Amino acid sequence: MIAVRDVSKTYGRFGRRTQALEGISLEVRQGETLGLIGPNGAGKTTLLLCLLGFLRPDSGSIRIAGLAPDDLAVRARTGYMPERLGFDRDLTGAAFLAQHWRLAGGAPAEAGREVSAAAARVGLEPVVLLRRLSGYSRGMLQRVGVGQAMLRDPDLLFLDEPASGTDPLGIAVVRERILEARARGATIVLNSHQLPEVERVCDRVVFLSQGRLTQSQTLRGESPAPRRGNVRVPADRREQAATALRTAGFAPEAASDDSLRLSISSEEDLARAVKALALADVPVLEARSSADLEEMFLRSPAP
Amino acid sequence: MNEMVRRFLRQRFGSPAIVTALGLLGLLTALQAALSNPESAFGTGILAVALIAAGSVSRDASGGALQMILARPIRRTAYLFGRYLGILTVYGTYLGVVAGLTILCVQLIPALSGPRPAAFSGLALARGVATAMLNAALFAAILLFFSTFLRGYADVLAYVVLQVALGAIPMLGAALKRPAIEKAGEALRSNILPNVAWGEVLRGHQVLAEPTGRWVLAVTAFLILAAVIFSRREFAYGQD
Repeated sequence: MIAVRDVSKTYGRFGRRTQALEGISLEVRQGETLGLIGPNGAGKTTLLLCLLGFLRPDSGSIRIAGLAPDDLAVRARTGYMPERLGFDRDLTGAAFLAQHWRLAGGAPAEAGREVSAAAARVGLEPVVLLRRLSGYSRGMLQRVGVGQAMLRDPDLLFLDEPASGTDPLGIAVVRERILEARARGATIVLNSHQLPEVERVCDRVVFLSQGRLTQSQTLRGESPAPRRGNVRVPADRREQAATALRTAGFAPEAASDDSLRLSISSEEDLARAVKALALADVPVLEARSSADLEEMFLRSPAP
Repeated sequence: MNEMVRRFLRQRFGSPAIVTALGLLGLLTALQAALSNPESAFGTGILAVALIAAGSVSRDASGGALQMILARPIRRTAYLFGRYLGILTVYGTYLGVVAGLTILCVQLIPALSGPRPAAFSGLALARGVATAMLNAALFAAILLFFSTFLRGYADVLAYVVLQVALGAIPMLGAALKRPAIEKAGEALRSNILPNVAWGEVLRGHQVLAEPTGRWVLAVTAFLILAAVIFSRREFAYGQD
């Protein structure tokens, strides 16, 4: 669906040049959700802007469904939420969404109904929609931003920090909308620093550092990333739990939150660990597994 | 493009500061038109156009609204020419209101302070409005051109600099006693900022004269240049 070939991009001129991207190559399959991960200044937003056709690579090529990123046929299938939300603050939420509905090619007669539906999907009350955007909180603006990106159910979604500045409920709303888009087969590129959210919604992540792609890691499907299991037991039973886990073939480590950390390769491994603790008569207060993106992020190889 | 025009109208008429400034300017213009020759009373129109058109593209770009719009299936030229038509529509509305106020003033002034001003004629008012509109078409095209690559309200500043520079070249030529420079400066000025006697043209004289052609060429050239620059422009923000 998205093919990026050896893309480089430099900002500035006359001796003050910054290499924002250097030899980036990647593919995003139809229906895949790709997460872009990297520290500030890694080139994630630059890559996203290149994918949207707002920036032209100095070298290399980007094709989306075989077309240039700024082709109107691509745009007609695209939903975009920028990190910096550039709203017409004098508009009401309803007028803003209606405007984007029409710009996206939606029938003007259906604008009212679709705007109400889009607002409901991101948890905005009808009465809020009648207020000017200048009076919205950051979290509400994020929701409007997500709502406009999802208008007309786009096949392609480019989301730049979609849950930044939102409360836990807002984060959940954004997550649900992304999962909903993924379920209907949309191809999604997500740039976010919220690693737990990235892990929950993405099929694959790529790590960027100093403009280079340093690592690509599958989170779902074939050969997923190594996972981390966390098991929380009563503090006075931790030694007993560690012994039971070692007997079962695990190498538990004490984590900072008083739980035990295990390297596991699948959810089944975690179930086996819980079973071992149950057989040793150790109560399990909590057991969870994650892809350990934070660890991967910290250990991501330098370019 | 219609959506872009509508958006521009909402932006400008939704701004209390712009509406207030235009209201005051319009009232002054209407009084001047009612009390003197209405054909030459619209000289302040340039201020109104500057208020309406300043930063029309650059502020959208710096605010990030442009990126959200251009992610939609809309051509950049449609956005750009939508802004241009929006400027002219807002200014046309302003002129219509000023014309209405002028007629009102002409009716009210005799009732308040004496006889109706002798110089007033409806036809002269119509010619004044048309002249202001035609001058605005070029001024707006120039501001739009500068706004495609300059930041904030630098488009207005660039227009002032252009005016000064084009006026200075012939003067410099004359001071240096270099007729070639003087002639080149005059040629530049008359082609880039042509001065058309619209009053005569609107009376049916010199319609196809050289200045009219230069005006058409200048408006077209500024709009085409704006479209070329805007179509090739990159839009970045942040470098995460």
